[in-house]
Amino acid sequence: MNRRTFLISAGFAGCAREQRPRLNVYNWSAYIAPETVPGFEREFGVRVRYATYESNEEMLAKVFSGNSGWDVVFPTHSRLEAMRSYGVLAPLRHEWLPGLGNLAPDFQRPAWDPRLELGVPYMWNATGIVYNKAVTPVPAGWADLWRPQLRGRLTMLDDPEDMLGACLKKLRLSFNSDVAQDLRRAEREAILQKPLLRAYLNAEVRDQMVAGDVLAAQLWSTTAQQAMDAAPHLAFAYPAEGFPLYCDCAAILRESRRQRLAHQFVDYLLRPRISAGIAQSMRTATANGAAQSLLPEAVRQNPALYPPREVFGRGEWARAPSPAAQRLRDRIWTEIKAA
Amino acid sequence: MRLRFWFLLPTWVSMAALFAAPFLIVIAYSCLSRGVYGGIEAPWTAENYLRLFDPLYLTILLRSVFIASLATLLCFLSAFPAALFISRARHKNFYLQLVMLPFWTSFLVRTYAWIFLLRDTGLINTALEALGIIHSPLPLLYNDGAVLLGLVYGYLPFMVLPIYATLERLDPALFEAAADLGAGPAATVFRVIAPLSRPGIAAGSILVFIPCLGAYLTPDLLGGGRTVLIGNLVQNQFTTARDWPFGSAVSILLMALVTLVVWQYLRRADEPGL
Repeated sequence: MNRRTFLISAGFAGCAREQRPRLNVYNWSAYIAPETVPGFEREFGVRVRYATYESNEEMLAKVFSGNSGWDVVFPTHSRLEAMRSYGVLAPLRHEWLPGLGNLAPDFQRPAWDPRLELGVPYMWNATGIVYNKAVTPVPAGWADLWRPQLRGRLTMLDDPEDMLGACLKKLRLSFNSDVAQDLRRAEREAILQKPLLRAYLNAEVRDQMVAGDVLAAQLWSTTAQQAMDAAPHLAFAYPAEGFPLYCDCAAILRESRRQRLAHQFVDYLLRPRISAGIAQSMRTATANGAAQSLLPEAVRQNPALYPPREVFGRGEWARAPSPAAQRLRDRIWTEIKAA
Repeated sequence: MRLRFWFLLPTWVSMAALFAAPFLIVIAYSCLSRGVYGGIEAPWTAENYLRLFDPLYLTILLRSVFIASLATLLCFLSAFPAALFISRARHKNFYLQLVMLPFWTSFLVRTYAWIFLLRDTGLINTALEALGIIHSPLPLLYNDGAVLLGLVYGYLPFMVLPIYATLERLDPALFEAAADLGAGPAATVFRVIAPLSRPGIAAGSILVFIPCLGAYLTPDLLGGGRTVLIGNLVQNQFTTARDWPFGSAVSILLMALVTLVVWQYLRRADEPGL
């Protein structure tokens, strides 16, 4: 280092307001309690740059560059395998994660990551049916969303995976089917249903459920819970034929230069009190068993957020389709939209 | 010469960096294979272009051209009288400000505002029901009508302003001459003013047609995802379908179409007598 570069770097160092190490956390929107990050910053004497995304694709597009600038991200479990094969994930070091034992039994050895090497389960949700209690009989399964009585007052998700998945489940097939014949049958169901639909809507349907424009909608359980908090005339059903389950996981990126700090953050999220605080303020379902027992009775018994065992057992963890099936699903989705 | 070079340099650099380079990247992507999880992979292929000849995608393309043409026509029908009025009004600047007023707010926010107006419990249906004109809400939202309304609303100023610019330059003596020669008001508008404002109409139509052809936000929000236009197809390939090469090929097709339209316009504009 010559004298000039020394002076320049010393100058920059002098200008920097903050000398504390910085952790970069990229999470879904509305997925953390207001006090979570400040609490971590205080306790560990660090700064956290926190930003949010709205879809896995948005996050992955950045992360796959291998130079995204993030340390901790929260992919859905079905995306972990792709991230691993692209080599962007750092293997989890269990010796730095003493809080792993707090996870609920279902998440200790999940099917998608039996040794918890890729991501730490954070919050989970399912796709089901939110409906207006005025609808009789009460929708209990996907098949009820094909009732002519709901014409014009019904929406499905604008998401190929969930929409086709509901059709597959109606046919009592696997949500994750890669079989062309199954997918074509699901397509016929979707086209049959299309004239009944008001629209394909994602979270926007929440307001229209609350206002009463829409009587029944395919929706994610946590989004449905937000609608139900705003309107007592709404209820949620876990469909009888089965439904998909999604678990968002805290994952540490290989590019991160603060592996230790990133692990400390993930371990901090595993603390029962922290996880319970997030679950309660954001009305989500935590994968942390120790945190669940800290929640008030009313929340633990909430059938939309924490369904009973036998209901949960009907769920099917979503899996990424094979490349060929993915291509067929995309084409079918375009055909449904163009129909 | 040197001075000219230095002054033009920023333009050249920004054109190269912000137009030429991304354009070349899109062309390159459109000739590659799809990565398993988004992105692109070897080998080079023409498959993405061959897929465009699929009747499914051609139908979507034709639909998009039809909707964009209809939106352009509706824009013209509502913009021409407005432009004529403004060009002959006393407070021109005031009215022009009104035309541009919507640009003060984000297009996304204004499109959401339409949802609140059009939905079943929205302002229009509630008002009509309160007045006893209707007894059950009209299905105003989530259909092609709503998409057209959104497009016409969004791009109307792009039609009004060019037509206004040509009308404003017309010599008022022409109107008097038309009247002296026995033309009534209608004949003056249709046989004198309209033909003379053709350059403005053509420019406005181009400015409206092109963004309408590639629109994806309006069909998505006001159409409720029930239809797919070419803009939605492109968007979908880059997001949920994660097929960047095919998305790039569709974009190239869209750009080729737009170039064709503009080229036709420029060729006609060069013709004498216009």
